[in-house]
This record gives sequence, structure tokens and C-alpha cells, in this order.
Amino acid sequence: MVSFGAMRMSNTNKKYSILALLAVTVMALPSCANNTSGDAEISDPFESTNRAVFSFNTAVDKAVIHPIAKGYNTVVPEPARTGIENVFHNLKSPVTFANQALQGDVEGAGNVLVRAVVNTFVGIGGLFDVAASEGIAYEPEDFGQTLATWGVGHGPYLVVPIIGPSSLRDYVGYAVDSFADPLRWYLFNVDKESLYYGKVGLEYLSLRASLVDVLEELQKSSIDYYAATRSAYYQHREALVNDQDSSLSGGGANIPDYDSGEDL
Amino acid sequence: MKYILMTSSMVVALVVGVNSAYAGYSGPSETPPRALVLEVSSEAAAKGAEAFIDRLAQDGIGFLSDVSMSDDGRKGEFRKLLNKNFDLNTIARFTLGRNWKSLSDAQRKEYLSSFKRMIVEVYSRRFSDYQGQKLEVRGSRPEGTSDVLVKTAIVPPSGPEVAVDWRVRKSSGEYKVVDVIVEGVSMAVTQRADFSSVIQRGGGDVNALLVHLRQ
Repeated sequence: MVSFGAMRMSNTNKKYSILALLAVTVMALPSCANNTSGDAEISDPFESTNRAVFSFNTAVDKAVIHPIAKGYNTVVPEPARTGIENVFHNLKSPVTFANQALQGDVEGAGNVLVRAVVNTFVGIGGLFDVAASEGIAYEPEDFGQTLATWGVGHGPYLVVPIIGPSSLRDYVGYAVDSFADPLRWYLFNVDKESLYYGKVGLEYLSLRASLVDVLEELQKSSIDYYAATRSAYYQHREALVNDQDSSLSGGGANIPDYDSGEDL
Repeated sequence: MKYILMTSSMVVALVVGVNSAYAGYSGPSETPPRALVLEVSSEAAAKGAEAFIDRLAQDGIGFLSDVSMSDDGRKGEFRKLLNKNFDLNTIARFTLGRNWKSLSDAQRKEYLSSFKRMIVEVYSRRFSDYQGQKLEVRGSRPEGTSDVLVKTAIVPPSGPEVAVDWRVRKSSGEYKVVDVIVEGVSMAVTQRADFSSVIQRGGGDVNALLVHLRQ
């Protein structure tokens, strides 16, 4: 995911790590693994605040971010957009590798290594996803997913200003990922913070630009955009968590056969 | 180096913290490998469902890429395609969840027709976005007791693919789509969450939804 939150984490890293640790421990206590694809298990105790932030985000998005993202899609032609995404995926390799390892996914971790080496050296610094065309596709992994594989539930749903839909678990995960990113450590150590912020900003733009159609579609096809987004967010995250086992991912909900008399 | 040590010790602390919090929790038992059990008996069903989706895609792309067709013509073709290949009654009922039971016959009728009209309106607005994407069938697997999940990818002329899964059900000898799942997001589940929130915020009255659908 995008990492705007990292901007505020410069010299207070220690404090944040303690906070993150506390939050994870606290939320691990009452939760249980959420394996339903439906919307019944979504916990949204802060709904009124979330809705307010969501309205704010939607307004900012409409006025500023969406036009920029559309402009980006117009100005940057498609092969280049994919190339930029590839570079960001490649730069994320250390964090992705760590998460695969923490999830106990040895094959996944090996794939990240192979991908990083092949794409960096053959794919010209990650611009071309050579590994994917050889059958080793990019698999997004983050600490939120790692926590999920450890059995930590989402906790409450959160809408974060500018960043958008998240949950306590995923937001903590995202803070941990940003914090642990060796690229950030490096750039901060050599006093190139601005370069790091530039990377974070461009990554955010690239992600948002790739979602232009999806979000337009969701907004137009829903009556309550907030509720539709919340449901889509949980489903998408669940699919990502389950992606190691394709027999678990996707499928949606179990839709009853109403004609045969089977009922809800 | 100091930082790396700090990071890793933090991660270790997290593992320990979470594990100890979970010491008393016994997780759900492992799901049986149902795909394996049904593999042999459902091979024919899988092939049939895959062929059905492939044909559906060809029909869809056929009218989308027909430049001689008017917008209204496309909408008409889409409506036909939808009625023939999608189990709209099942989808509509599912998206209403348990609220279906509280509806009168007249309300049910109104809801079903509004739902169908809404689907046509929402999706036909996007026809102009068609830019030569292809739909490739990538395989399938049994889903639930009676369905087949056909895995496909929308492949644009350039740029990233989109993973789309079609939940297909065979009823009275005909294949019908009961759900479309885009990158893990089920249209039926999302629509149901949307509708249920509208009803809930309307004080639990299904009429709140019917009013919206009339617009």
C-alpha cells in the first residue's frame, strides 16, 4: 500500500515502534481469525468518524487527487506506467521478502529473491518484470497480511485521511512496513529524506492512477459508496491473505440455490 | 547495523506478543481438500462452464467492438446477454439478504425489475471504455456444492491484467452466472453490503432501498 504515514515517522521511530507493538498486542487479544467472505464480520465501531473522514477523502480526491491521477494516466503512456509500477514493486523486495519469511512461505520468499535479482539485473533496475514473463509473478505481501496469517483479526475498520480504507491491523502493518523499509533507513542516513518523500508521493500517485477506473466504477454502481468500499476493502484484503492457497482465495460468498427451496 | 538489529528485535517482540496472546486460542480446523474430492466427477462440468464463459465473452466483445452499433443498440444487446446468461433472480435475492423475507409480493416484483434495470444502466455507461480488451479463460475449480468457479483474466492491449472469476451454476440444464469476482471482490457481496447499509440507515425499512432504486 501507499506510505504517506511514513512521512511523520522521521525521528520518532522508537516511539512508533512501541506504539505499533502495543496496538498489535491489544488487538490480538479479543480478535479471532476472520475467514468469511461476507460482510457480516466487519467491525466498524467508529462508523460516524469513518464516514466523516471518508467524505473528506472523497472531496479531496474529487478536487485534487483524481484529476492528477487522470492527468498522470494521460501524460504517461501505458508501457511506462507499468514500468514505474514494476520499479516500486522491485524496491519493495526487502519488505516483501521479510513478510514472506515471517509468514513461513519459503517458496514465496525464494520467489521474491529470484524476482529481485532477475528484474534488477536483466530487467534494468526493475523497469521490466522479466521474472513475471518467466512465470514468477509479483505477489504483494505486507505486514498486515503477515499478522493475518498469524491469526490476528482486522480489529476495527479505519478510514485514514488521504490514505483511505484500512483496519487497525492493516494500518499497523503498513506502519511497520514503512518503518522497516531498508530504503528509508538508507535515504535517511545519507540525508536524502526528500528523495524518500518523493518516492512515497510518486508511489501513491502510481497506485491511485491504477485504481481510477475501479473506484469510478464502484462509486457509480453503489448507492452507499462508503459501505460498498468497506466491503470491497475487506474482500480484497482477504483475497491477498489467502493467495498462497488458491483453493481458498476468491469464490465470493456461498450463494444459495433459491429455486431448489434452499433458503438463507 | 544498529537499525537492522532494532528492526529484527522488534519483529521478534511482535511474534512473541502475538503468540502468547494466542496461546489459548484454538483456530478453526483445516478445511478438507474439497477440490480433490470433486475433481474426477466434475471434470465435465468444469469444461462445460469454461466453454460457457468463453462464449459469453465472445458475445460480449462482439457487440462492444461493433462500431456500427448505436449506444441504444448496445444497451439492448447487453440486456439480452444479461437475461440469457446471468441468474438475475438469484443475484437480486442474494443481494437483499434476509430482507427479502419481509417484502410483500408487489415489493418483490418491484425490487427485481428495479434491480435488473439498475444493472443495465450502471454497466452500459462504461461501454465507451472498451479498448480491445480480451478475456482469456485460465481454468476452473468446483465451488461450493453445485457451482464452478471459472478463472479468467481481462487482458488489455497493454498494461496489467485483471483477474476475474465467474461463479457459474447449472440449473435445469443451462449454465448461468451467479457472481462475478474481480480481483477477489465479489460483485454480489459488495452489492449486498451496499444495499444492507442503505436499508439499515433508512431505519431498517426496505422501502428506503426501493426509493433509491426507483431513481
